[in-house]
Amino acid sequence: MATFVIRRLIASIFILLAATYLMYILTALSGDPLEDLRTSTAPNKAQLIESRTRLLNLDVPPFLRYFIWLAGVGKCFIGQCDLGVTVQNQPVTILLAQAAGSTLQLVTIASLVAIILGITVGITTALRQYSGYDYGVTFISFLFFSLPIFWVAVLLKQYIAIGFNDFLADPKIEYWIIPIIAVVSGLIWMSIIPRKGLQKLLTFGIAAVATAGILFYLDLSDWFSTPHIGIVGIIISSIAVAFGVTVISTGLKRRRALYAALTVAGVGIAIYYPFLYGFSLSLEAWSLALLALVTIGVSFAIGWFWGGADRLPVARTAAITGFLVAGLIALDRFMFVWNQYANSGRIKGRPIATVGSATPGLEGSLWVHGVDLFTHLLLPTIALILISFASYTRYSRASLLEVMNQDYIRTARAKGLTERTVVVRHAFRNALIPIATIVAFDIGGIIGGAVITERVFGFVGMGQLFQNGLDHVDPNPVMAFFLVTGGLAILFNLLADLVYAGLDPRIRVS
Amino acid sequence: MSQPTPTTSPTDKRRIGAPLLEIRDLQVSFATQAGMVPAVNGVSLTLLQGETLAIVGESGSGKTTTALSVIKLLPGAAEITGGSILFDGVDLTKLSEKELESVRGKQIGFVPQDPMSNLNPVWRIGFQVEETLVANGKAQRGRDAREKAIAVLESAGLGDAAQRMRQYPHQFSGGMRQRVLIGIGLSSTPKLLIADEPTSALDVTVQRVILDHLAKLTAESGTSVLFITHDLGLAAERAQKLVVMYKGRVVEAGPSVELLQNPQHPYTKRLVAAAPSLASHRLQGSASSIAARDQRDAESADVDLARTAEERAAHAASALAAPPAVQVENLTKVFRISSGKLRSEPFTAVDSVSFSIAKGTTTALVGESGSGKSTVARLVLKLDEPTSGRIVVDGRDLSTTRGKDLLALRRRMQPVFQDPFGSLDPLYNIGATIAEPLVAHRVGNAREQQARVLELLDQVSLPKKLVDRYPNELSGGQRQRVAIARALALKPDIVVLDEAVSALDVLVQAQILALLGELQSELDLTYLFITHDLAVVRLIADNVCVMRKGRIVEAASTSEVFDNPKEQYTQELLAAIPGAGITLGA
Amino acid sequence: MTNLEPPVQQPGHHAPGGTDDESSIEIKDIAGLSQGQIVRKRFFRHRGALIAMFALLFIIVLAFTSVGPQFGSFKPGGWWPFTWNVAGAIENGGRPTLTVFPLSFGNHPFGQDQVGRDIFAVVMRGTQQSLMIMVIVGSIATIIGTVVGAVSGFYRGITDAVLMRFTDIIITIPVIVIGAVLGRRFGFAGAPVLALILGLVLWTGLARLVRGEFLTLREREFVDAARVAGARDARIIFRHILPNAIGVIIVNSTLLMAAAILIETGLSFLGYGVQAPDTSLGKIISENQAAFSTRPWLFWWPGLFIIAIALCINFIGDGLRDAFDPRQKRMPTGGALAKAKRAGQPVAGSQKAGDK
Repeated sequence: MATFVIRRLIASIFILLAATYLMYILTALSGDPLEDLRTSTAPNKAQLIESRTRLLNLDVPPFLRYFIWLAGVGKCFIGQCDLGVTVQNQPVTILLAQAAGSTLQLVTIASLVAIILGITVGITTALRQYSGYDYGVTFISFLFFSLPIFWVAVLLKQYIAIGFNDFLADPKIEYWIIPIIAVVSGLIWMSIIPRKGLQKLLTFGIAAVATAGILFYLDLSDWFSTPHIGIVGIIISSIAVAFGVTVISTGLKRRRALYAALTVAGVGIAIYYPFLYGFSLSLEAWSLALLALVTIGVSFAIGWFWGGADRLPVARTAAITGFLVAGLIALDRFMFVWNQYANSGRIKGRPIATVGSATPGLEGSLWVHGVDLFTHLLLPTIALILISFASYTRYSRASLLEVMNQDYIRTARAKGLTERTVVVRHAFRNALIPIATIVAFDIGGIIGGAVITERVFGFVGMGQLFQNGLDHVDPNPVMAFFLVTGGLAILFNLLADLVYAGLDPRIRVS
Repeated sequence: MSQPTPTTSPTDKRRIGAPLLEIRDLQVSFATQAGMVPAVNGVSLTLLQGETLAIVGESGSGKTTTALSVIKLLPGAAEITGGSILFDGVDLTKLSEKELESVRGKQIGFVPQDPMSNLNPVWRIGFQVEETLVANGKAQRGRDAREKAIAVLESAGLGDAAQRMRQYPHQFSGGMRQRVLIGIGLSSTPKLLIADEPTSALDVTVQRVILDHLAKLTAESGTSVLFITHDLGLAAERAQKLVVMYKGRVVEAGPSVELLQNPQHPYTKRLVAAAPSLASHRLQGSASSIAARDQRDAESADVDLARTAEERAAHAASALAAPPAVQVENLTKVFRISSGKLRSEPFTAVDSVSFSIAKGTTTALVGESGSGKSTVARLVLKLDEPTSGRIVVDGRDLSTTRGKDLLALRRRMQPVFQDPFGSLDPLYNIGATIAEPLVAHRVGNAREQQARVLELLDQVSLPKKLVDRYPNELSGGQRQRVAIARALALKPDIVVLDEAVSALDVLVQAQILALLGELQSELDLTYLFITHDLAVVRLIADNVCVMRKGRIVEAASTSEVFDNPKEQYTQELLAAIPGAGITLGA
Repeated sequence: MTNLEPPVQQPGHHAPGGTDDESSIEIKDIAGLSQGQIVRKRFFRHRGALIAMFALLFIIVLAFTSVGPQFGSFKPGGWWPFTWNVAGAIENGGRPTLTVFPLSFGNHPFGQDQVGRDIFAVVMRGTQQSLMIMVIVGSIATIIGTVVGAVSGFYRGITDAVLMRFTDIIITIPVIVIGAVLGRRFGFAGAPVLALILGLVLWTGLARLVRGEFLTLREREFVDAARVAGARDARIIFRHILPNAIGVIIVNSTLLMAAAILIETGLSFLGYGVQAPDTSLGKIISENQAAFSTRPWLFWWPGLFIIAIALCINFIGDGLRDAFDPRQKRMPTGGALAKAKRAGQPVAGSQKAGDK
C-alpha cells in the first residue's frame, strides 16, 4: 500500500513538472511581453524595454527561462520560495499568499457543498428511481450541465442579491406567494415519498399545509429581519436529528443507539443558553474548531457508554448526532448576530454581497465575520457548484443503481437483512468507491470555474492573478496560479487513491 | 464410487411428511416494451418437510425465476402475476416487504449461484456472517455473534475459521466462498434452503465436496432443500424428487430415479438421452447415422449420445496409426505476474507439455480451472508465444515459420471458442462473419466467397436465409454452428475447440457434438478438444491428456483413462462426474 | 463549464452468455434487427432525445438561413431583413418587439443594441459561430482522442505508457486555463482557428475512455477469432474493435460538444475567445454585461440560445447512451407498464426460439 502511494506520488511529481514546463512555454509564447512598451510614446522607451527585459530575463529564451523559474520554486524546499516578480516588479510569492486564501476558501466550500448535496440527491433519486422526483432532478441536472457559469453568476448577482436585499429591507411575503410555495413543496414531497392513492394526496396535503404554516409564522414573527431558531426550535430539531440519524445509522430497533442519540441531543439543549450568552462570546476560529472536536469526542464517549455489546455503531450514531446538534446551535449563534451585522455601518441593510470576498474594515466577533463570509460566498458558491452538483448527482445515481443490481445485494436481502441495512451497509458503501474517484477528478474543473466566477464577483483571488499575468504575457503569476491548481489536482488524485484504498479492501489488502 | 445421496445417511433426522412449500399455478412475467412476457407460466410443485426437490431445466426455462419468487427477490422488471406460494401454511405472495424480511434468512435460506459475485467485496467474511446471525435474532451483537459465526464457518467446512473471519472475499477461492455462502444460508437453521445452481461455477471435484457437505448439513438439521440445476445427472443424484421445467412450464415431475429410468414426456426423454454425464459412451459420427439423421426433421433431431456410441471402435484403431498432424514438445509458458510491488513474479502456466495428435483423430485436453489447458490452445493457435518448446504442424516448427509460410500454416489451424456470444463480432452479419477468413486470406472473389459461405452454412446444418442475419438474432447453438462454419471456411486440417460446447445447454450441446463428429469423418479433421468436462470427453475424444497445474499428469486413450485410470487425480475427476453412478433404464 | 470530463459512464457490455431470463427477453425485444437498427429504434424511443434532436435541427436551420452563413467573401445572405453588423434606426427604445399574446414578431423581435443593430441577427450570427466551433472542437477532439486511446489500448506496453503519461500531463491543466492561454495567442486568428486549438486540448477524457474500451474489447473472443482467421492489426482495429467501441465514442463526442460550447462562451467572456469583429454567443454576453440593467435582452437572448443548444446536445447524448448501452436502458414508464399489464399476455411468438 505504502509503495503504491509513493509510486503514484513520484509519478505525479514528474507529470506536474512536465505540465508546468508546457504551461510556461505556452504562456511565454502567448504574446509579446513588451507590446505595451513598444507602442508607447514615452521618451525613455528603450530604457523601459531594457529594464523590463532584465527584470524578467526576457533575453533568455522561454525554453531555458523556465529553469530559472524552476530554480526559484526549488528554493521552497529550503524555505525561501521565489516565484519571480510580475511585470510591475511585485514579488509573486507575496501576491499568491494574498490571493490563494480567498480562492481556496471559495473552492473548498463549493466542493464540500457540491459533494454533500450531489451525493445526497443522487442517492435519493436512485432509491426513488422513475419517480417524479427522479425525473425532475434528472431534468434539472441536465439544465445545470447546460448553463454557462458566468451567465448564471450575472443573473444571481442581478436578481438574487439585489432582489433579496430589497426584500430584506421590508421582509413581508406577498399573500399570493405562500400558497404557490406550499403547493410546490407539497408536490415535491409527494414525489419523494412513495405512497399510493389517497395516502399520496394526504402526503401532499400535510406537506403543503405545513409549508404554508411555517411561512405564515415566519412572516408574522418578522423572522427575516431577526432570524433565529430559539430554544423551542432547537429542542424540536435536536430530537428530530437524534431520531433521523439513528434511523439511517443503525435503525430504530437498536434502542441503545436511540437513547445515546437522545442523550446527546439533551446535552446539546442543556448547554444552549450557556453557550449562546456565555462562552461563545470570546471564541476564536481555532477554538471553535477545537470545540467541534470536543463535541464529537464527548458524543462518541456518550455513545460508547450506552453501547452494550457492539459499541462502535452506537458511538458513531451519537457522534454524528452530536456534530449536527452542535451545528444547529452554532447556526443559531450566527443568526443571533444577523440583525447586528445587517444594520451595521458597513453593510447598511443590504447584506447579500455582490463584490469581493469580505467586507473591508468590518469589525466584530468571530460570529459577525462568519456571517460576513456567508453573505459573500453565497452567490459565487451557488454559481460554482451548479455543474459539479449536476455531475455528482448523475454519478451517484448511476453508481448506486449499478450496485443495487449486484448479486451481493440480492444475497444480502436473502439473508434477512432489513432494507435499511441493505441500502446503507451494502449498497451505499460500495457505491461510494467510484464516486470518490470522480470527485477528485473534478477538482480541476471547479478551480477553472472559479476563475470565471471570481471575475464576475470581483474577487481578488487567484483568478485575477492568472488573468493579469496572462494579459501581460507574464509567466510568473500564471505559473504561481498553476502551481497551486496543479498541486491541488495532484493532491486530490492522491487523496482519491487513499480514499479508494480505504473503501476498497481489494486495493488495500492485496 | 460413493453415493452421497442424503437418504442413505445414517444421521438423517428428516421427518418426511407434511408439505412445507406448495407452489400453486405460479405466474411470473417480465415487463418489456412489448408488454408483459411470461417467464413462469402456471408452475405447481410441492416440497415435503425434510425432502430435497430439484428443478431441472435449460437456461430460460424459468427455474431460477420460480425459486426466486419464493423469497420475492425477483429482478426489478419481473412480477408475480398469479398463483400462490404456501410456505408452512402462509401465502408468501401476500406478505408485505417487512414480513418477508422476517421470513428470509430466518425461515428460508438461500445459496446463490456465483460465489464470486455474491459476497460483498468491501466487508470482512466474518462480518457478513455475523450480520446474518444478528439480523435473524440468532446471536447477540459482539462476542456472541463472533463466536457463533466461527461455529457457522467451521461447520461449513472452512478450516481455521477464526483467522479466516478477518479476511475479505477476494482472499478466498471460489470453493471457499461457496462454503461461506452455504454457511450463511444455513446459519439461522431455516426450514427451507433454496440452492440456485450452487456449484455450477466451480470445478467438478470442488463441486462434489461442497455438495456432499451441503447434503450432510441439511440432513443433520432436517432442512428441506429446493435445488435448482441444469444438470439432470446432478439433480438425480442429489434430490429425491425432480421437476423438469421447459419454457416456463413444468413438463414432468416425479421421484428422481423413476423419472430418469422411465421418462414420459418427449422433452424429458430428449434430455435424458442427451445428458453427457448420463451417457457412458463416445459419440460417433458414422456415415449411417448421418444418413439416418438427414431423413429426420432437423427440429426433432434428438441425439441419443449413448446409443450411437459403440459403432466406432475399428475406425479409432486405424486412425491412431496415422501420422501426427500436430506435435507438441516440451511446451512451456511463463507469465510475469505483477505482485503489486515493484517486482513481478514468474508464473509457469504451462510446464513442459508434450503430446501429439494423429491425423483425423481427437485429443482432449482436460483439466480444471487454472490447469493451463486454455493457454496450450492459445499457444497452438499462435495467439501467444511459448517461452520454450516446439509446436510442429505437419513437420514444420511453428515458432520458426515466418511471413507467408506462417500465414499458410495458420490457414491449416482454426479455432472454435467457448463463448458463442463473445466469439462473434456483434456488428457483422453471419455471411460476413463466415467470410472473414476468406477475405483476410484473399481467397477467391466476392462471388466465390459467397458461394463458399452458403456451402458452409449447409455443412453446419444452418438455413441459408441466416446469411444476412446478425448474431443477436441467433440462439447459442446456432451461433456455435456459425463459429464452426467460420473455422471451416479455409478448409483447415486441424480445429482447436476451446471449451466449444461448455456454455451450451445439454440438448444443444449434444447436437453440436454430433455435428463435430459428422464433420470429422466427412472432412477428415483433426481436433484438439479443450474442456473441463470429462463427461463430454468420453463422447468425442480418442485420446485424453489430463492436465493439472500446467503439467500433463496422465495421457492415454479415452477408454483406458475412463476404465482404468492410473493417477489418483484422474480417478478423483472421474468420481466427481455427477450422476455417473445412476443406472438408466433401457 | 470546465467540466473536463463529460458525464460519462464506463462503457457497458452486454453480459456474455445472456443466459438469464431477463436477457433472453431482451433478445426477443430486438430479434430480427441489425445492431444499427436496434440503436436507432432505442434512440427513437427516448422522447427527450427525439425532441432535443428536432429542436437542435430547428436552431441550426434558423441560424444558417436567417442571416446566411459567411465564409470569407462567400455571403449568400438570408431571409431576415437585417444583418448582424449593420446598425439601423432604433425603434421602440431598442426593446424587443416580440409579444406572445397576441403572437407578433415586430421588426426587432429580440430588440436592438445601443447603436441599433438587430439583436436577432446578431444572436443568429453568434449561434452560427458557436455551432461551428462546437462541431470543429467535437470532431478534432474525437479524432485525436479515438486515435490516441485506440493505439494505447490496442498495443499496450510502452506505447500505452508514453501516450497515457502525455494525456495525464494535459489533463493536469484545467481546460479553461490552457484554453485561455492558447486563446490569448490564437483568438485573433478567427473562430475556426480557436476551435481547432480547443479541439487539440479537449481530447484527453475521450482518449482514456476509448483506451479502456479497447483494453476490454481486445480480450474478447471475436478479436482472437479474427486474428486466427488471418486478419492484420489494421483490420482488427478498424473493422472489429472500433465499430464495437463506436457507442462510447459517439456518446462522448456529443457530450464533448456540449462542453465545447460552454468552454467557448466562457473563454469569450474572459476575453480570450472569439475576437471582434467576429462574434459568438459568449462574446455577445461579455460585451453587453455592463448594459444589463438598461438592456437586459442583450443578455437574455444569447444566454437562452447557449442553454438551448447545450441542453439539446446533452439530451441527445443521453438518448444515444441509452440506445448504445441497454444495461442502462430506461424502464418503460409507469403508464406504459400499466398498459402492458392491462393488455395481459404479450404478443404471440415472443418465446425464445430454440436451437434448430
